Amino acid sequence: MLAFTLFPVGYNVWLGFYAKHSLRATSTWVGLGNYAQMLGDPDFWRSAWLATVYAVGSTTLQILAGVAGALILHRRFVGCDFLRGVALFPYMIPTVIAVFVWRWLMNDLYGVIPYVLGTLHIPGMPEAWLTHATIMWVLIVLSVWTFFPFVLVNVLARLQTIPPELYDAARVDGASAVRQFFHVTLPQLRNVLLIVLLLRGIWMFTKFDVPWLLGFGGGAGEAIRTLPVFTYQRSFTYYQAGMGAALSNIMLALLLMAVTIYFIAFPPAEEEQDA
Amino acid sequence: MRERRRGRPISRAAAWALRLGLFAFCAFPLYWMVVSSLKVSHELLASPPTFWPHEWELRAYRKLFYETNFWTYFQNTVIVSALTTVIVLVAGVIGAYSLTRYAFRGRTFVARLTLLAYMFPPIIMLVPLFLLARQLGLVNSIPGLALTYISFSLPYALWILRAFFQSIPLELEHAALIDGANRAQALVYVVMPLALPGMIATAIFTFIVAWNDFLFALVLIGQDELKTLAIGINEFFHMAVVDWGLIMAAGVMVTIPALVFFIAVQRYLIAGWGAGGLKG
Repeated sequence: MLAFTLFPVGYNVWLGFYAKHSLRATSTWVGLGNYAQMLGDPDFWRSAWLATVYAVGSTTLQILAGVAGALILHRRFVGCDFLRGVALFPYMIPTVIAVFVWRWLMNDLYGVIPYVLGTLHIPGMPEAWLTHATIMWVLIVLSVWTFFPFVLVNVLARLQTIPPELYDAARVDGASAVRQFFHVTLPQLRNVLLIVLLLRGIWMFTKFDVPWLLGFGGGAGEAIRTLPVFTYQRSFTYYQAGMGAALSNIMLALLLMAVTIYFIAFPPAEEEQDA
Repeated sequence: MRERRRGRPISRAAAWALRLGLFAFCAFPLYWMVVSSLKVSHELLASPPTFWPHEWELRAYRKLFYETNFWTYFQNTVIVSALTTVIVLVAGVIGAYSLTRYAFRGRTFVARLTLLAYMFPPIIMLVPLFLLARQLGLVNSIPGLALTYISFSLPYALWILRAFFQSIPLELEHAALIDGANRAQALVYVVMPLALPGMIATAIFTFIVAWNDFLFALVLIGQDELKTLAIGINEFFHMAVVDWGLIMAAGVMVTIPALVFFIAVQRYLIAGWGAGGLKG
């Protein structure tokens, strides 16, 4: 069963040592040549940097938005179920649609968000957003919109299981709402936040469709050419399958490092509980 | 949750402001998509934009259905998603059952590997799966695309199903086995009915993976009549003049089935979330 996954991964590692054309059958052994070439390529470093900025920026904001959303939806109120449904919806619509809706919302000429921001007359506010200087912000905001419900759902599920007695005790001790959050809620959320951080961090670092769909067909695409987009281009624009595989292997190595750290931090007994 | 602390008027107003903010953040882009798809062309591009259209029309929808291959893309997407879901579910149930019921060496290791597969980003499989598909003649074929989806959603279906099977007491099966049932009967008549919510959740998430995928469809499908929605809608950008009304109409038409489906299965989705069943 797992051979399904393991075989392509093994094949990928092997491919990384070859100079291979994506369509032709030829391949030449180059040893570590792909890696050497990659490390000497400023475009590689740039894409790695952009992927890091994107992953760190969007993951941080997703977690903040997700926790805030979960706290807003935790207590019951009129329309609570409705709002819970609405809040999950961005995650449910296909990525392609989400990106196109945001491209339209942020359109340089006709976009409604640049228009509304323009009416506020904030000094230093750019007029057009899908440009080199600012497209990364659009990418991050759009990704937060699309993916924060993942954090929200997981945090909300955990919030519901915190025993109310803990809060009663804190209130008896005279703790304010803010202190209750930091001393009761946050420690209880620690485990779920760590796993969400790990998953979202990995998934954002390796996200291909969102930056690609936002960036293509516009001059500013280069400013969000993250590592996955760079990998795709190497493999299918320049047909360097070997190089593409080598780039994937770098991402795989980073993933394995992250997972190893996770398993060291969470021994298996705890993992079973969280699963 | 118990109702605590009615709160002062100010804090109650603040709570409602936050709720409203969350609502606007989530819903406004969707509202704008619907409204834009129904505006007449000159109003769509008007400056300043109108928040409530003066004139409504279905031009974009007519164009979508009569002048594009939208319906073909839609059918292809349904076929590939359904194919993936059925195969993943059958293989996943058998696999997860053996993972939780038979003791074998390295079971914990396999379980960890499954978690790794759950978080595994598809981009890493891009090159090898493309080359394999080419060697096997699976480029430009719907079954080939489905096979690709199966290869990366199966491990994560195992991950969800494993959690469900673990929660079913072994004693129930032992009782069935003592009564003379074989393993397969115990699985079909005892375990599966109890794991039904988990199986439905798995089916939904697998379906969503296939329904949403962009990367593999982009790489593996070149022929227009085989395209799925994700890459088909993408083609609308290659027209001489980008018709935003058309793109928004396509968005609405893809979102409505998702919305209906989502409301219908919400109960099971929540069961799946408990088991870590979201990905993307």
